[in-house]
Amino acid sequence: MGVFVFLPLVLPLTALPIARLAEQHLHPRASTRLLSLLAAVLGLCSTLCLGLLMVVGTAQLPGNPLPDGWSDPEVRAAVPYAEVAGAAAIPLLAAALTGCGTALLRHRRIRDRTHRALDGLPAGADPAVLPDDEPYAYAVPGTAGRPGRIAVSRGMLRSLDEDERRALFAHERAHLACRHHRYLLAVRLAGCVNPLLLPLRSAVAFAAERWADEEAAREVGDRRLTARAVGKAALVTRAAPAPGTAHFAAPEPGPVPRRVAALLGPVPPARHWPPALTRAGLAALVAAAGTAASALSALNAAVALFLVLKAATPL
Amino acid sequence: MGQKPFGTAPDAGGAGRRRGQGQLESQVLAALHHAPGPVTAAWVQERLGGDLAYTTVMTILSRLHAKQAVTRERSGRAYVWTPAADEAGLAALRMRRVLDGEPDRDAVLTSFVSALSPHDEQLLRTLLDRAADDSSDEDGTDIPQGTAHPDEARGA
Repeated sequence: MGVFVFLPLVLPLTALPIARLAEQHLHPRASTRLLSLLAAVLGLCSTLCLGLLMVVGTAQLPGNPLPDGWSDPEVRAAVPYAEVAGAAAIPLLAAALTGCGTALLRHRRIRDRTHRALDGLPAGADPAVLPDDEPYAYAVPGTAGRPGRIAVSRGMLRSLDEDERRALFAHERAHLACRHHRYLLAVRLAGCVNPLLLPLRSAVAFAAERWADEEAAREVGDRRLTARAVGKAALVTRAAPAPGTAHFAAPEPGPVPRRVAALLGPVPPARHWPPALTRAGLAALVAAAGTAASALSALNAAVALFLVLKAATPL
Repeated sequence: MGQKPFGTAPDAGGAGRRRGQGQLESQVLAALHHAPGPVTAAWVQERLGGDLAYTTVMTILSRLHAKQAVTRERSGRAYVWTPAADEAGLAALRMRRVLDGEPDRDAVLTSFVSALSPHDEQLLRTLLDRAADDSSDEDGTDIPQGTAHPDEARGA
């Protein structure tokens, strides 16, 4: 398998240019799906290869339960730097899997706690309006037994007029109907298994918000109204600025102004892929090629190691 | 009103919680919700049909008090009790506890908007302002900016 086993660990780098460019060149629906798919495939391949290296590394440990033949020189020869890579893969894989487990548990805990908090309200009360002056609005993903819900505080509703509330509810319903939490969870897990995929997290989070904005604008039939709802909600929500950040105010606009600006602009083109001969098109092609290469390398490495180990296992 | 939510409150005593007590708690709370105002434990006992001992009612009320589901005031020699909030209020309280206790919540619960930096706020106000100008131009109506955006006046 040679060096191919290492490729999927670094090929996630190819997804970064398109993560930056997708926002300007793709419909948010397409960019959410494309980036999540890239993250999921690259993350899986990276984990698979880490697993293969881990097997080679574990076989060298004294007292391991694997067949003795697996630590033969032939097996080690199949992996460059087998000693170092194998030994490093064990803690890395452990960290990756722990990270995934923690993220999954936290996801379930937050979701279930929120559902329990809202259980007191009648099931039909959707959106659930909570008598709280603090302005907030959340889409709570559904579980096996409970449908998704929308929780809005009275403080938030008070700050919006009737039409703007319709936009708010349409936005939150879009989150639930399009199951955005699944995309978010997928990129979250991908970031846990390979830190190179971390930038995709914020890119997908932003694309999902934009997607819900576009759905809301379509439903209420007024982009400017939707923009106003997002903007007003953000202005009343504005948290007490964290001390210190005021001095380093980022020159790059944050997600909310970008969303409002996009809503005030024209409807994004509904294409699934940026035009080929642009920077975004090239970036998308690089990402697709990187993902394909990653998948092929992982497959190659898996098959090669399987054959080597099979040959080394005394039957 | 008040069938079950309070018994299942995730906070409270933890390991020592027994089944049945939760039911009693919600019965007592439901009774308090139907009370005309602050009432005594004896009133609650009577309301529940009298098959609970007075001390049991007191125990349950104290437990609810510890959970901050009811408030009490001294009136003469006894306490009078009121439910801390209605069910929506309690749901709001619990929701706040989740929101305050889970810094990572935005990864799970998709929030309508995220917090703004001071720079973002400026930018946002400019964008909204310009949008308001444009729309008043198009409509041919001249809405004064102040009324179009009550937030504008408040901010800055």
